[in-house]
Amino acid sequence: MGTVHARSLDPLPMDGPDFGSGSDDGDLVEVEPQKKQEILENKDVVVQRVHFEGLGRTKDDLVMYEISDVFKARNLIEVMRKAHEAREKLLRLGIFRQVEVIVDTCQDDDALPNGLDVTFEVTELRRLTGSYNTMVGNNEGSMVLGLKLPNLFGRAEKMTFQFSYGTKETSYGLSFFKPQVGNFERNFCLNLYKVTGQFPWSSLRETDRGISTEINFPIWKTNHTLKWEGVWRELGCLSRTASFAIREESGHSLKSSLSHSMVIDSRNSTILPKRGALLKINQELAGYTGGDVSFLKEDFELQINKRLSWDSVLSTSLWGGMLVPIGDRPSSIADRFYLGGPTSVRGFSMYSIGPQSEGDYLGGEAYWAGGVHLYTPLPFRPGRGGFGDLFRTHFFLNAGNLCNLNYGEGPRAHIRRLAECIRWSYGAGIVLRLGNIARLELNYCIPMGVQNGDRICDGVQFGAGIRFL
Amino acid sequence: MWSGGIPAMSLVTDAFVSQIAAVEPWPENATLYQPLRSEQVLLSDNASCLAVQAFLRMCNLPVQVVCRANAEYMSPSGKVPFIHVGNQVVSELGPIVQFVKAKGHSLSDGLDEVQKAEMKAYMELVNNMLLTAELYIQWCDEATLEEITQPRYSSPYSWPLNSILVLQKKWEIKRKMKAIGWGAKSLRQVYEDVDQCCQALSQRLGTQPYFFNKQPTELDALVFGHLFTILTTQLTNDELREKVKNYSNLIAFCRRIEQNYFEDHDGSSSSSLRLPKGPALP
Repeated sequence: MGTVHARSLDPLPMDGPDFGSGSDDGDLVEVEPQKKQEILENKDVVVQRVHFEGLGRTKDDLVMYEISDVFKARNLIEVMRKAHEAREKLLRLGIFRQVEVIVDTCQDDDALPNGLDVTFEVTELRRLTGSYNTMVGNNEGSMVLGLKLPNLFGRAEKMTFQFSYGTKETSYGLSFFKPQVGNFERNFCLNLYKVTGQFPWSSLRETDRGISTEINFPIWKTNHTLKWEGVWRELGCLSRTASFAIREESGHSLKSSLSHSMVIDSRNSTILPKRGALLKINQELAGYTGGDVSFLKEDFELQINKRLSWDSVLSTSLWGGMLVPIGDRPSSIADRFYLGGPTSVRGFSMYSIGPQSEGDYLGGEAYWAGGVHLYTPLPFRPGRGGFGDLFRTHFFLNAGNLCNLNYGEGPRAHIRRLAECIRWSYGAGIVLRLGNIARLELNYCIPMGVQNGDRICDGVQFGAGIRFL
Repeated sequence: MWSGGIPAMSLVTDAFVSQIAAVEPWPENATLYQPLRSEQVLLSDNASCLAVQAFLRMCNLPVQVVCRANAEYMSPSGKVPFIHVGNQVVSELGPIVQFVKAKGHSLSDGLDEVQKAEMKAYMELVNNMLLTAELYIQWCDEATLEEITQPRYSSPYSWPLNSILVLQKKWEIKRKMKAIGWGAKSLRQVYEDVDQCCQALSQRLGTQPYFFNKQPTELDALVFGHLFTILTTQLTNDELREKVKNYSNLIAFCRRIEQNYFEDHDGSSSSSLRLPKGPALP
């Protein structure tokens, strides 16, 4: 009997941003079994046993769900594939540092002639891992300490704690994550946090202390999140010269909101997609579960990518949103929408479109923005197949509008308001993909339709973003 | 935080204020912001707000009073009241006096240097004794805290923010009390301090209409703000009020300012200031 080692499966990176181009397409790695002395390929085989080596605190039922498919394999290729899938599923749990698979013929007394044993050699992550780093930005230096307790109770629960101590502000976040056993995509998350943000475009400082719980679950091809959040928000002026409109917003408020979001994402990459579409719909209802802020907020994001010839991609996006205050209190500056910046309506400064008071942007209760991009590889394709694939050139046309609506007027007047004074811009630039989480853009922009009070960035604009138009 | 920040703040404020303010005259739409009058404002805040109002009325500068639940947080120094004049925002009596002076209005220009020094000393006395005593009674006397301060201070907020903010403020005041050596004082000692302060003021006032004879100054506005508020605010007991009531010339002084500056001259009372009546205050 021949022995087949399946160690040739390429090891996947454990976690963290991956700068290689390998995961860009996310295509499945085809498993090609090596030919050995005896041809097992087409023979029927039975997986008799699955062994685990190296399990410590991980509970058996958790891994049993993840590897149960291996038993269903009927021939060697299937065994290899199922074992590979099981390995990926195990790694996805984020509780193992390393998972290796060994497929061997069954050696026991009760071994069937075509019986196989599959052995998973796993190395668990340590009970406690820590990290620290320092950050500089916004005229502030800070030190960030992180603690992670993976696989806390043995069923892929995770507890993370992050503490940032800065020269001006301290923030922290504590989160507990619990997936359903055998169904990792269904999970529960509890967060406790304090974050401080400084928003110079509004001369506003905001400190949020909050607690939130969320449940994530997939339905068919969509991912849903149900969330309750209770936040104590403290707003204040960033400087003495802040406009009076910002001063009037200062003080404490308590928001308790229920929100739902739905995401369908068929794109092959989140940052520089080549094909596929994204639809994201968010809705948030605040005020019915307590607190002193009441509103209904709806917003959506749509992106469609189409691959053209010459390795270029045509990408179209549309965003929109609306905030309806409930009751007689006006909406808070912390809840309204903002538009403009190097990754939204380009050519305008960060969040510097729409209603403003003495140069401080107040945000709006309704907005839309759209963009058409043509992404192409770098001219002459330097660094092709490697570093160069992190870059794209793009030509873009962006448009959008942000304003406040008078909700007595009816939909026709709303559409008219959103259609007048449209800001738009066009230009070209270079996009750099930073892992699979963010991107950097260096663009030459020509802003058009500039309204009184908008702050523009005529010419070269540089910026980073996670969400982009 | 409390003790260190204020002098530096007011130095900056002074420089800032005197440079810019002088350019424009007093506008018609000047506004004074203070906490909600009927359900929120506390004894000490009300005293400070009334003092600024009295001062502006003595200067004959019109100001519109606006009540906001978040007035404390809108204020650049975190204390009420503050005025919004043109595009300037100035808080508390001291900086407001400076600001108004830069605009060419002053109540103390007629005083000589010695009198000015004396006026400043008495103002310090009022701030250190009366204001601190008010804060002590509001935040450190458990009965007052529970019956009056807590429900009023937390009135604009919903649970659990209301309790958090009260606790936060209580700790802040207690820290301040400890820093200035009032931490171990008993309520009785605080009443004694108030009595001594009133005695000093009463002696200084004597039989004059105002502290510096015929014309009121910012000291008169400040004393009026505090004494009038103490006299008209219903607390858990009458002890604080009784301390002030012992000095008849101070009561007459409060009446005088009320009549001269808070009532229309045709006799009908425009504002709700009424000395012997209950806690309703401007």
